Amino acid sequence: MVAAELILRDLAFGLMLGCVFSVVAHGLNIIWGVVKVVNIAHGEFIMLGAYGAYFLNLFAGITPLETAPIDAAIGLLVGYAFYYAFLHRELHNKETITLQSEMVTLAATFGLSLFISNLAIIVFTGNPVGVIYNPGTLQFGYLIVPLAALYVAILSILIIAGTWLFLERTFIGSAIRAYAQDVTATELVGANPAKVASLATALGFAVTMAGGALLTVWIPVGINPLMGALYAPISFVIVVLGGPGRMWGSMVGGLTLGVVIDLVQAFTTPQIAYAAAFLILIPVLVFRPEGILK
Amino acid sequence: MQAKPRRLTKRTTAIIAVAIVAIVIASGGGTYYYVNYVAQRPITCTLPSGRDAIKVGFTISLTGTFNVEGAKSLAGIQAAACWINNNGGVTVNGKTYNIVLNYYDDQSSSAQISTLYTKIITQDNAQFLLAPYSSGLTGAAAPLAEQYNLVMLSHGGSSDSIWTKGYKNVFGILSPASTYFNNAVDWLKANHPDDKLAFLHADDSFSTAASGAASKYAVQQGLSVVYNASYPVTSQDLSTQLTAAQGAGADDLLGGGHYADGVKIVQQLSSVGWKPKFISLLVAVTEPQFRQQLGGSANLVTGPSQWETTVTYSPATAQTSSIPWYGPTESQFVDYYSKQANAGSPTYHSGEAGAAIIVLADAIQKANSLDSTAVRQTISSLHIMTFFGQFQVDSTGKQSGHSMVLVQWQNGGLVVVAPAIVASGTVKYPYTGS
Amino acid sequence: MNLRKPGLTLYGLFIVMALLAAAALLLGVAVSSILVFLLIYAALAYSINFITGMIGYVDFGHVLFMAIGSYALATLVSYFGANPLIGVGAGAMLGLVFALGIGLVILRFRGVYFAIATVVLVLAAYNIVLQLPQLGEGGEIIFNLTFQPLAPYFTIWTIVLIEIALTYYVNRSRIGFGIRAIKSEEDAASSVGVNPQRLKLIGYMLGGLFAGAAGGVYAWSTSGVTAGPAFDFTVSLLMLAMIIIGGVGTSIGPLLGAVVVYIPSYFLLTSVAQAQPLLIGLLVIIMALFLPDGIVGLLRRSNKRLRLALE
Repeated sequence: MVAAELILRDLAFGLMLGCVFSVVAHGLNIIWGVVKVVNIAHGEFIMLGAYGAYFLNLFAGITPLETAPIDAAIGLLVGYAFYYAFLHRELHNKETITLQSEMVTLAATFGLSLFISNLAIIVFTGNPVGVIYNPGTLQFGYLIVPLAALYVAILSILIIAGTWLFLERTFIGSAIRAYAQDVTATELVGANPAKVASLATALGFAVTMAGGALLTVWIPVGINPLMGALYAPISFVIVVLGGPGRMWGSMVGGLTLGVVIDLVQAFTTPQIAYAAAFLILIPVLVFRPEGILK
Repeated sequence: MQAKPRRLTKRTTAIIAVAIVAIVIASGGGTYYYVNYVAQRPITCTLPSGRDAIKVGFTISLTGTFNVEGAKSLAGIQAAACWINNNGGVTVNGKTYNIVLNYYDDQSSSAQISTLYTKIITQDNAQFLLAPYSSGLTGAAAPLAEQYNLVMLSHGGSSDSIWTKGYKNVFGILSPASTYFNNAVDWLKANHPDDKLAFLHADDSFSTAASGAASKYAVQQGLSVVYNASYPVTSQDLSTQLTAAQGAGADDLLGGGHYADGVKIVQQLSSVGWKPKFISLLVAVTEPQFRQQLGGSANLVTGPSQWETTVTYSPATAQTSSIPWYGPTESQFVDYYSKQANAGSPTYHSGEAGAAIIVLADAIQKANSLDSTAVRQTISSLHIMTFFGQFQVDSTGKQSGHSMVLVQWQNGGLVVVAPAIVASGTVKYPYTGS
Repeated sequence: MNLRKPGLTLYGLFIVMALLAAAALLLGVAVSSILVFLLIYAALAYSINFITGMIGYVDFGHVLFMAIGSYALATLVSYFGANPLIGVGAGAMLGLVFALGIGLVILRFRGVYFAIATVVLVLAAYNIVLQLPQLGEGGEIIFNLTFQPLAPYFTIWTIVLIEIALTYYVNRSRIGFGIRAIKSEEDAASSVGVNPQRLKLIGYMLGGLFAGAAGGVYAWSTSGVTAGPAFDFTVSLLMLAMIIIGGVGTSIGPLLGAVVVYIPSYFLLTSVAQAQPLLIGLLVIIMALFLPDGIVGLLRRSNKRLRLALE
């Protein structure tokens, strides 16, 4: 029988890992939920956020926690640019996104993902790099918790809570929610649909890049131009699990994935744990396509 | 994805078509121009004039997964070739030749291998070949060497399975993966035979081969192995496995994978609160960044290496062992290496790749012929010592003369601690974590 | 059976194939070792064309079937000493069977969800393969067959020929009509006597069959298979790029796309290695935004005669 301490330990780490996964997926969730566009290049922006943390650490000694807001600011700008470059033509003056537009954006963002990741290989070289950030550990009995992971988990929760508050409590937030439900309703609320959509996209990218910065704490030497290929699918699974557009869905999906990966490892091999975590998607889609959260 | 059937005028079509073609040509042309006229391959070695050339062809991974190891290997090859050309070249039948390198970037991808090697052999007319870096790519290149009956030296493919395929023309410079941990296991057997061992390795082929063979060898030697598991290369969190190993009562930890894994393991050892008495990890330990990134916790971690710059093979050692010596001394090699562009400091990848050229040159001279069959036969029976160590292959082409070394970080420096004939220090035990 | 007489496209394609065959026979090993990969790419493009190009279900995980084919051939050749042709056949069969099993479950999902499910399956499969020591240490199998470049070449050549014929037939027949109905409005399709479930499954199975066969030939040509590269998403993405650039659903599109994607890479190979995927990415973005029906679509819309001739 597997020791109780081991299970508790895995649960704790799984939850912390899950929080980071959540924030990494959250940006995708926002964009998908509001603008109904799935950004295939999502992983590449996570990667850019991670490199942002690396370079800021390298040249200015800034920790990933501090880099997150900087990356978020950059993400806002990138998001606006992305909206006007790719989405505006397809979305404006339309009531709902058509199948045609959906496929166009899927294809265009996939081209973007190829482009960015290869450009990154040329510019950054393929060398994996990492950020060294170790503020110490906390001990709870036999459980040793690295503070870095704890801080990042807390920040992740704060970010998701923050976006939820923003959407629920501010005027712009409700305009975004209106847009998510019905595009024409946005105008009834007195907002310009294009501005709302572009803001939502910008917000999504901001969260994505901040998430990339926070992720670096878990991958001490794993920042490389192709890391998007791992974190994009993880994000997709998380968003589907939680339900696109449900802000707290990111948390539910992320925690589920983190816990499954870490906990299943206690009983079998990590490869099976990963496989299981990914395969959860299939039954969820079969039985509960709107996501776990009702 | 059907478009709404917009009627395109001929003009619009023409404009779009021209635009696309223009972009493609511009980028292709621009790239071509940049690569060939702007970003020149740095010429770091002037070839002595008046000599013919012996062309050695190969692909090397300058981009992709193996780009770090590939770059180090290439610089090693260039350094060795440069030394040879500046020290008498290669003499065959009274004529002196320069070693000339003909190489391409294989992008760490096996799809490029057969195209590139075919080009190297049939269009560039290389006379001798080196294998690419890594066992998988070496496996893809070997059939071409067989088909065209050209000698190929493998410097970056350590998997034992290469040597079971019956290749006649392929010879290995480096010790096979199955021998990587022999020094560590031997030392433990001699000094702490009651220790319990844990093996934890990445699930790629190299790490699996090295760790798997090592655990079998340990059992054979009478040591007790209490934990043996693998993890996916992309794992963020190895604490489960480390805790489980600790829980199984292990005293020592061996394994790892490539660079990132080694760092991860040491970091997470401290976060799960386990201090194994002896740690030996693949690949990562020999990189200077290992110490930089981990600081004190890197101290007293050991690792296997094909070669280090502190290893003391020299003409004197060769004489004591009654083995012929050929090539630069270790300091000469390091000196030539430092003149190569973007080389950093030499790692064992540099050493093994450089040694390949050295051995090839010696074999050609001893065979006194440029004919592949003659050179092949010479290599099969060759037994020499170079800066990299001994070279002798068995009947399958597998390297049997070279021995790995065991290195350990001590007081901020990497010390060779085994085997005794080349060691400059001894193993410090137990690991303290600082 | 309601087939019009075969048009220029089919003859044109057969001529191209004949040229490719002649090139291999007459121009020597150097050329055939380049062209074999072109044909493998083309085979993959045609295979993904069945499910993504024609039916409109974007399969990001199509590399899964290629990997299945590669491992099938590698295990049969390496462990049982089988003839590689049997390996290719096994790859095709396994691709078909897996596509059937997987398709029954995930083809029910709507567009984007289907795409994500295919991605998830590749990742799960990759991890499972690494767990199975029968599939090599770390999923790597190397084998040594005497170098016979023409054998795999003509194997894949035959496969592509079959795919061209099949694609052409499907497009022109009533099945093609049904497929186009699914693509434009799936729910309404059944009201015109089309069975979407069955057609989707057939398309997906064909995709799996041919990708499996192509994967087998790929392993044959590279003397082995390694887990990381076998499940590499870049290959899936390249497959999609080929049909997007060439023209989704068409008969010429996949071959055209394969040429555009592969040939420049041969020249760029020896200079800046990353340039090719970079350019492909750029090209795909442009195509997706401005030319959703690819080069073939562009040509068809510009000239009435081309519209009739190109399919």
